Amino acid sequence: MFSRSIAQKVLPRSLTRAFSSEAPSTITLNFSVPYESIYNGASVFQVIIPGVEGEYGVTPNHVPYVAQMKPGVLQILHEEGLSDSEKYFVAGGYALTHEDSVTDVVCPEAVKLDDIDPSAVQSQFEAAKKAFAAADSGTIEQAEAQIDMDVNRAMGVAIGINLS
Amino acid sequence: MATEKQIFNQINSTKNISKITASMKMVSAAKLKGDETRLAAAIPFNAWANKMSSEPKEVEDATFDELPEKTLIVPFTSDKGLCGGVNSFITRATKSIIAQVESQGKTADVVIVGDKGRAQLNRTHASKIVRTATEVVSPGTFALASALASELFAIGAEDYDAIVIVYNSYVNAAVYKQMYKVITPFAIATEDGGSLPSYDFDSDKPESMGDLFEFMLASQIFHSFMDGAASEQSSRMTAMENASKNAAEMIDSLTLQYNRARQARITTELIEIISGASALDE
Repeated sequence: MFSRSIAQKVLPRSLTRAFSSEAPSTITLNFSVPYESIYNGASVFQVIIPGVEGEYGVTPNHVPYVAQMKPGVLQILHEEGLSDSEKYFVAGGYALTHEDSVTDVVCPEAVKLDDIDPSAVQSQFEAAKKAFAAADSGTIEQAEAQIDMDVNRAMGVAIGINLS
Repeated sequence: MATEKQIFNQINSTKNISKITASMKMVSAAKLKGDETRLAAAIPFNAWANKMSSEPKEVEDATFDELPEKTLIVPFTSDKGLCGGVNSFITRATKSIIAQVESQGKTADVVIVGDKGRAQLNRTHASKIVRTATEVVSPGTFALASALASELFAIGAEDYDAIVIVYNSYVNAAVYKQMYKVITPFAIATEDGGSLPSYDFDSDKPESMGDLFEFMLASQIFHSFMDGAASEQSSRMTAMENASKNAAEMIDSLTLQYNRARQARITTELIEIISGASALDE
């Protein structure tokens, strides 16, 4: 009787997984910038992440995955079947998907697409282009101007204006 | 026994000091509110990094056995004083880590953030200090943390087997604890240990591991800095409150002394007048 009760307590973890009928149907999203936690433990259906190697989507039971993000659009689909997703522009950062469908998206800066001012993006791009032309080749100033241009161009693409 | 005049001056200067400490306490209380909010945002921002390396541990009763051969210790202290025991606890923790690590035959170097820590560690462990970062102005931002992380890499942080951040962790307005984090560089590997065998990566390039490590270091520094700033403000608030209370007690006892001295003087004058007058009456 003793050994039976002990055996019942000590099921290996892999077996309990197989017996469980509770597969997560949502992913738990933690989306943070340094000064604010935009989503903490929110249950969403899908997140589309702008990875440097390409966009990819995270759905429940995705394999654990780590990706660097390029400046681009992060799309959050709150429920399955919704036509519209919530879109944020992220300026780089990392996205990590862990086991049990917890996804952390951390970036230094993120802004809702609706909050982006097209004229500001245009003028920032022009300023960056001037700085890029004025900087000497191979210097830090040129690299920073290049990054500035790329991010603003990506922001332009996100809100539908073409900058070059 | 001081004269009446001296006691009077002492009372006045103590009153001035108590005004300063009271106002410093209120300023710290206000700044603490801001620091607590920033810390509340920094904790979820950094939560992933603790999953990737390991959770911060308490310094108290720690043996530091898990530290590898070459460690870079980064203690976070403040530049300004009048903040209670925050800096002494950190330097004491750093000294104990160095002692433990050396007794196990390993080496450790130190990069100090904050002038107070530099002053305290310079006396005994000057040879270990590789770099100091002062005027790291609070409130910190992520840009500041990234700059600190870049500085660490500029002095060769990737040559060390681990980076240990020692900082004060804010528990509540009255309590803070010394904690340390061990951050080891990643290796894309099939080996076990500090690397990340269970994760797939979008890119196999070694630079991407280095980039992730840099970002994680910046994030951890950001969190430790926010935590340390909140602890420092709460400690300063407590220290100034105690100082104001002590000043008030001192003023009370000095006032009693002053009154006694004043009454003694009046009595002496009265006796002189009366004995003078009675001498005339004779």
